[in-house]
Amino acid sequence: MHLLIVEDDQVIADHIVSGLNRAGHSTTLARTGAEAIRAWAGQPHHAVVLDRMLPDIDGMSVIDHMRRHGDDIPVLMLSALGSVKNRIEGLQAGADDYLAKPFSVDELAARLHAIARRNMPRPGKAGIEIGALQLDASSHCATYHGRSTVLNRKQYSLLAHLMGHADRVVTKTMLLEAVWSYSFSTATNIVESNMSRLRTALQDIGCDPIETQRGAGYILRADRCA
Amino acid sequence: MRLSRSLPARWPRPGRLAIQFGLAFAIAMIAIGLIGFSLADHWVSSRIDQSLTYHTAKYLAKVAGDPADEPGLEAAIHEWQHRKVLSERTYMLFDRDGRRLAGRLDITPPAAGFSDVRFTAGGRHYEIGRALATRLRSGGLFVIVQHSEAAEGLHALLPMVVLTISLVALVLGVSATFLFARLTARRLGETQNTAAAIAAGDLSRRIPTERLDGMFAVQAESLNQMLDHMAELVRAQQLFSSNLAHDLRTPLTRLRSLLERASRDDQAGFASLLDRAERECSSIIGIFDALLRLAEIETGQHPTAMASVPLRPLVEDIADTMEPVMTDRGGTLGVRRLDDVTVIGDPDLINQLLINLLENVATHTPPGTNVTLALERGEGRAMITIRDNGPGLEAGDRMRVMQPFERGSAVMSREGSGLGLAIASAIARFHRGSLELVDAAPGLEVRICLPANDGQDAAGIAGLAQAS
Repeated sequence: MHLLIVEDDQVIADHIVSGLNRAGHSTTLARTGAEAIRAWAGQPHHAVVLDRMLPDIDGMSVIDHMRRHGDDIPVLMLSALGSVKNRIEGLQAGADDYLAKPFSVDELAARLHAIARRNMPRPGKAGIEIGALQLDASSHCATYHGRSTVLNRKQYSLLAHLMGHADRVVTKTMLLEAVWSYSFSTATNIVESNMSRLRTALQDIGCDPIETQRGAGYILRADRCA
Repeated sequence: MRLSRSLPARWPRPGRLAIQFGLAFAIAMIAIGLIGFSLADHWVSSRIDQSLTYHTAKYLAKVAGDPADEPGLEAAIHEWQHRKVLSERTYMLFDRDGRRLAGRLDITPPAAGFSDVRFTAGGRHYEIGRALATRLRSGGLFVIVQHSEAAEGLHALLPMVVLTISLVALVLGVSATFLFARLTARRLGETQNTAAAIAAGDLSRRIPTERLDGMFAVQAESLNQMLDHMAELVRAQQLFSSNLAHDLRTPLTRLRSLLERASRDDQAGFASLLDRAERECSSIIGIFDALLRLAEIETGQHPTAMASVPLRPLVEDIADTMEPVMTDRGGTLGVRRLDDVTVIGDPDLINQLLINLLENVATHTPPGTNVTLALERGEGRAMITIRDNGPGLEAGDRMRVMQPFERGSAVMSREGSGLGLAIASAIARFHRGSLELVDAAPGLEVRICLPANDGQDAAGIAGLAQAS
C-alpha cells in the first residue's frame, strides 16, 4: 500500500516510516497539516496515518478538509490523548480508527490493513464461510468437512472476527475492542486463553487455520480452511 | 503575600455597608424625634382645649337659668379681673352686636367654638392664643382665651431639637458602625492571617477559635473543618504521587538494568533482553493507562452510555471470558447463581469492574485458586459476589487495598497496575453502588451492590446522567 504519514515528531515519524517500509508499504511523510494537505492533493494514497496534534492545524481539521472534498480515504488517527472520550472525538471527526500513543508498529500496520480493505466478507445473518470451514450464526456451530463443534459465545465471536479478517493480522487489542468491546487494557491473557480454547475446538474437528504472529497478533489463513 | 497586603486587618475601611448602616440609624432617629414631638404637641393642645371647656362650663353654670345672663357674666369677669393679677387665661364678653362688654383683650369676636386668635400684649407684637367662644341665650358671646408660653416654646424648640437629635444620632450611629466594623475586623483578622499563612504554604494552620464567639466561632469551626478535609485530600494526593513514583521506579529500574546488560552482552542474548525490556515498557504504559482511566471515572469525564443493563447476560459473558484464564492457571471459575436483574449503568464500566476483580484473583492468588461468581437480586439492588478460596486478606489489608497502589502485605508480585481495586471501587461509586471486601474463610469475597432498576428506566437514567 502507499501510505501518507502525518507526524511532526522526528523519532516517531522515523519509527513509523521504517516499520511500514519493512512491512512492504511505501510512504510519503508530512510534518505539518499544510504539508499533509499538499501531499494528499498531489498523489493518491491508500490510507493516511494522521497525528492529532500538529504544529500548524490539528489533525481533525485535516480530516475535515479531506472529507469536505469528497475523499473517503481511510484515516487512522494517532494521538497522545488516549481516553475513551478522545477516541470517540476522533472517530466522530471522521477517522476510521484511533490509536493512542505509545503503540507498536505491528499494531499500526494491522489496523491500517483492517481499515484499508473494508469490503471483506462479514458474518451475515446465516453465518460466514471460508473454504470448507463454515460458521453458523444461530447455533454457534463450526463445521469442517462434516465434523462440527459448538462454540461458546466468545469463541464464536472470535472465530467470526478472524474469518471476517482472513489472511490479515489481527492484534490482541483489536480483538479486545471488536470481540469484547472493552475500551480498557487487561492485565491477564484474556485473548490468549480464549484463543487457545478456540484453536483446540477447531483442531478437534480437524481444522487448524489460526496462526500466532509472535508479538503481533493472530492470522486466520484461508488456504488452511480448504 | 498579596492577600495579606491588600487586606490590612488592623484598620479596615468602613465600607459601603457601614455607611449605609449609619445613615439608616440616623434616619430612624430623626423619625423617632418627629413622632415624639408631634405626640407631645398634640397632648399639650388637647390639655388646653380641655381646660377651656372646663372653665367655660364653670362660668356658664354661675348664670344658668338667669334670662339676663350678660350682666351676671360681666360682673363675674370684673370680679375675676379684680382678683387675678397674673394668669395665662383671660375672659371676654361681647354683646350681640360684637361690642366688648368685659375683658381686657383687644380682639374681634371669634366664631363660636375653638379657634386660634391673634392679640397684642402691650401693642408691640402679636401673640397667638387658643379661644373657646360660646354663644349665650341672650345673644352675647362669652370667650375664654388661653395663651400657653409652654406650648409656644415647644413649637419654637421643635426644629432645633429634631436637628440636634439627628446630628447626635448620626454621630452615634456612624461611631457604632465603625466600632462594630473594627470588632468584626479584629475577629476576621484571625481568619485572614490563617488564610494568608495557608496561601503561603502552611497547610497545618487553623483559625484560633478560643477568642471567638457566636457566628464567628461557628464560621471558624466550619472553615477549620473544610481545611481539615482539604489537608486530608492533599495528603492522599501526595501519598498517591509518591506511591505512583515508587511503582514506576520498579519497572524503570528493571528496564535500565536490562539496557545496561544489553550494552555489555554479546548479540546472542539480545532478542530475549529486548523482549523483556518491551514487557517493562508495557507495564509502565499499563500504569499510565490505568491512571488515566481512574481519573476519567472519578472526575466524571468518562463518556458514559448510560442504559438499562440486564446483568445476567453480562455476567455470563464475563464468566465465559475469564473461565479459560482461570483454567490456564490451574484453577476453576464456577457460577453459583444467576438471577435476572437489571441496573442503570455503563456496560463498558461494569465489564471493567468485573474483569478487574477477576484479574485480581488471577494475578494475586496462588495457581489453582478457584473462583465462584454469583448474581443475586435483593431488596431494590443487584448483588454480584466474587469469592475465591485463596489465602484471603488480613482485616487491615482489606481496607488498605482499596487505595491506589496499595497491595496486600502477603502479595509478593507487583504484577498489574496496582490500581485495579481503586478503579473497581470508583466504578461502583459511579453507579451509586458499593464495593466491599469480606473474609470468606478461607479466601476473599468481594461484594458489589448496585441499585436495581425496577421499571423506572427513564427517571433512573435521567438521575444518573445528572449525577455524572
